[in-house]
Amino acid sequence: MNTRELFTNLARAAVRGPGPFDGAPLDVQGGLEEYTQPLTLEDVYHLYRRLSFGISVPDARVLVGKTAGEVVDALLGPDTPPDHAKPMQFNKWRDPVSGEMVEYTENPQGADLQTRFAIEAWWRGNHSKLSTWWLQTMVRDATAIEKVTLFWMSHWTSEFSFDEQYLVPQTILNQYNLLRNDRLGDFRQMALDMTLDNAMLHYLGGTYNEVGRPNENYARELMELYTTGIGHYTEGDVQQAARVLTGWKASRYNDMPAPNGMYVSWFDANRHDTGAKEFMGVTIPARTADNNTAFQVKNEEIRELINILFRVRPEAISRFMARKAYLFFVYSSGGEVDPQVVNELAAEFRASDFKLRPLFRKILTSSHFFDPALRGAQIKTPVEYVASLMKQLRLDDGQIVALDPQSWVRTMDQTMFDPPNVAGWPGYRSWISTNTYPRRRDFAKKAIDSIPDAKALDFIKEFPDYDDPAKFVAEVAKYMLPVAVSAERLAYYKSTLLEGQPDYTWNEKLQQAASASRSFKLLLKAMAVAPDFQLC
Amino acid sequence: MKRRSFLATTAAAAVGTQVLGGVPLRAFTPTNLPQQLTADDDRILIVIQMFGGNDGLNTILPVDDPEYYKIRPTIAVPKEKAINVLSRVYMHPSLAPKDRYGFPQLFEDGRLAIVQGVGYENPNLSHFRSTDIWLSGFNSSDPEKRLLDGWLGRYWSNKINGFPEVLPDDPIAVQIGGSLSMLLQSPNGDIGIALTDPQKFFELGQGLSPDMAVMPENTRYGREFNFVRTVAEQCDKYSTVVKGSFDKGKNVASYSDNGFVQQMKLVARLISGGLKSKIFLVAMGGFDTHVQQQDDNLAGLHPYLLEQLATGVGAFMQDALAQGFADRVVGMTVSEFGRRVQENGSRGTDHGASSVQFVFGNGVRAGVYGQVPDLQNLDGNGDARYQWDFRRVYADVLENWFGGTPQDTENVLEDRVLPLGILQRPTSVEDFYEGRTQVEVRVAPNPASTHATLEWQQSVPAVVTVELYGTEGRFVQKVFADRVLPGTVSVPITNVSTGSYLCAVSINGARTVVPLTVVR
Repeated sequence: MNTRELFTNLARAAVRGPGPFDGAPLDVQGGLEEYTQPLTLEDVYHLYRRLSFGISVPDARVLVGKTAGEVVDALLGPDTPPDHAKPMQFNKWRDPVSGEMVEYTENPQGADLQTRFAIEAWWRGNHSKLSTWWLQTMVRDATAIEKVTLFWMSHWTSEFSFDEQYLVPQTILNQYNLLRNDRLGDFRQMALDMTLDNAMLHYLGGTYNEVGRPNENYARELMELYTTGIGHYTEGDVQQAARVLTGWKASRYNDMPAPNGMYVSWFDANRHDTGAKEFMGVTIPARTADNNTAFQVKNEEIRELINILFRVRPEAISRFMARKAYLFFVYSSGGEVDPQVVNELAAEFRASDFKLRPLFRKILTSSHFFDPALRGAQIKTPVEYVASLMKQLRLDDGQIVALDPQSWVRTMDQTMFDPPNVAGWPGYRSWISTNTYPRRRDFAKKAIDSIPDAKALDFIKEFPDYDDPAKFVAEVAKYMLPVAVSAERLAYYKSTLLEGQPDYTWNEKLQQAASASRSFKLLLKAMAVAPDFQLC
Repeated sequence: MKRRSFLATTAAAAVGTQVLGGVPLRAFTPTNLPQQLTADDDRILIVIQMFGGNDGLNTILPVDDPEYYKIRPTIAVPKEKAINVLSRVYMHPSLAPKDRYGFPQLFEDGRLAIVQGVGYENPNLSHFRSTDIWLSGFNSSDPEKRLLDGWLGRYWSNKINGFPEVLPDDPIAVQIGGSLSMLLQSPNGDIGIALTDPQKFFELGQGLSPDMAVMPENTRYGREFNFVRTVAEQCDKYSTVVKGSFDKGKNVASYSDNGFVQQMKLVARLISGGLKSKIFLVAMGGFDTHVQQQDDNLAGLHPYLLEQLATGVGAFMQDALAQGFADRVVGMTVSEFGRRVQENGSRGTDHGASSVQFVFGNGVRAGVYGQVPDLQNLDGNGDARYQWDFRRVYADVLENWFGGTPQDTENVLEDRVLPLGILQRPTSVEDFYEGRTQVEVRVAPNPASTHATLEWQQSVPAVVTVELYGTEGRFVQKVFADRVLPGTVSVPITNVSTGSYLCAVSINGARTVVPLTVVR
């Protein structure tokens, strides 16, 4: 929990006005059956806005006519994605004396103040670098790998800064990589990996959870926030789960034992509670000293704990996760999700034995997902807003870095890798307030202005019929805004582009990169101040 | 609850014009006179959210209970280091920051009420659910029930004519920082704005109003479009208003650099500059002290936070006193729960239930409300039992600070909840003419066995209701409701089971509360 963004928490159930299912239902015709119509350009844009961070005009046009199943299968990517071409590493810094890059893992807690501030400043710098790097990666990603990983990083929350301390950025990066690899696999495996993840052990106090000195923090959140949702366990279950989880340690600094290497978690048998535990009516038997090993405890207790949870509460878990995925990819209404949709998705999730790929595929290839009643209703999160705008504007790495996009995301109330608290970001309408809306507009202006004139002209030429101002404006609107706009608005946009001049002047402007760019930017800015530019 | 503490609680709950729990300090000061207020008054509420669950037991200290030292071997505050104020209460020393107008001084000056044992039935130990419960003012035992808006949002959205089609000239509520809290949301839309820096808000807010018509609400897209559109319009409209107050306002007290303290500074400046908002919301985080909350030198995260709280509130009150708006402001703290009374193994405390709440300002009846938590008599999770329903202070705010009626309280909280009596009801000339005043109610016999009689003098014809409440403030039963002529009124109470009660006599909407004990 970090202080500066704590209001996000207060806005958790940030629902204003009646939810969509509270009053007269807004008819969604499409059910969860697969959408088999050939995709239109609008369909492709819609799919890529939700499952990725958008798509360029030429790339989108290639996909027109394909089916949702084909496109989604390719988009979701391989189970185990290739490693990043430009991997990030944060465990080394330049030694001020020797000038060499050396591993640096001193514990700031024990150090003198000057050293401590230097270490923490270095971490903050690394955290910013990591955030920028991820935004660049999102813009570059032509698949859904980063978007789905973003979903998981928002689910298995870890805060870079919490309780006046920090998670070491390298451990956050490791957690990100773990989730990226687990993102489509077995949800139980993901739960196991996260339970023993170094950053998680540190963040939710698992590393302090010892026999005789239980710390219930992670045990509670494992159920309340990560699997079953609230109301499906007793306080006794929390206490018993905490006992099961005792003994796992997060190595972080050079003054701590790190038998498995730095930033890798390890098992301290002496701190594990070897007594029998009774979790959700199932007994996990006591163990003797000679089978109190990392391997055995991991498999016979931690994995068993997760297996019991999934065996005893399959309904709750499948419904909780189906709802969460729905909110992220389809409509993050603060109101209830249509119970029938949740039930069907949950049934699919159970039928696939908690494999994640079929769950995502079901949602994103459904007629429901492509239903007009659900288009343009999703409020872009700050990360989505910033990453997708940079991608839409075709910015390159250098332009992205120059904008310092992670600082913009932060002013919009989302610090990457650093949710306000363990429940993550409240989402939905809480993203748009009198505090954040002006920043969004400001960022759009700056990002649009950062396009060099020559590139603006190339960008214009990506649109079909770009030399016909009316058609051009209509195509840009389709590309920038989520739902077809009225003829009046199109006329207004056209006059903005032409600055009130007759149509033929557009062709004159196209001869001059500077003037075409100037007019184009006016058009983009006019679209960026429209309320629906916040929607996708 | 044991019978002895039951009776003690009842005595403490005797809320009315004359008797108060913990003895009201300000009853002895000449400033404790009924305030002259017009109907269109300018009273302001400041809500301080302490997110994470404040450890009440290490805030107001039960130093005379040996059990406290037994269950908190490493983090209890030794009695000799606790600050004893007016022989009534022991405070954590961090509440008295050096050279600041700290909580002990605030208490001595009659500007601080301490409510012990605030909580609710079936406490929820999730931060998020419990925060939702506190902010919404609904204690729903059904975890599936969605809590969507706040008690202040509901109250004010109904009080403002034409809301939300017509936005008032000044925002009803201002939240410093972040996304708008559920507290300020209503089914009719947001009643307030969030801002961090008025200057920046002004620069960025200009010209944000989109020149676009409202969309039909028959699509999800249309609804979200309209939501964003209204926020854009609020940015444009209120950025100028807030900037005007900010430029005109000033601070004359000294504030420290801490984030929370700076938030209080900004609130003081906006009030000083004439912003006519009714509510200001500020927040502190970090109270979720599972690990290392305090070391042997009484330093650590929790003491640090208490120090910031006291510094911010103290500086604000000095500012308010110096600039002459102290009579118009009342502040209250809210925190989703207290901590487990027994410390955990990491020099910290896990999630608990009931806790301590502070209410400050010139308008409070200072004192200590409720008893020191009974550490021998805990609930099933090992948490302190609650003595007051948390909504009692809300009812105080609605009825006695903002001038609402018991019916307003019932509408907003969807439950009948009795004010705790910490705040003084504004009495206007109209109230006086219409007999909407508190009266002296006699109960005899008390304790009663089979029946008792309530009796009072009434100067005007009035709609009278008599209701019984539990001592924690929750509705039990209705006794009487009718139009009554002037004169001596007596209402019999019969068929009440053994227990301690509060009898609420409401005369044209003004409540008087007297305690009654029944032993059958």
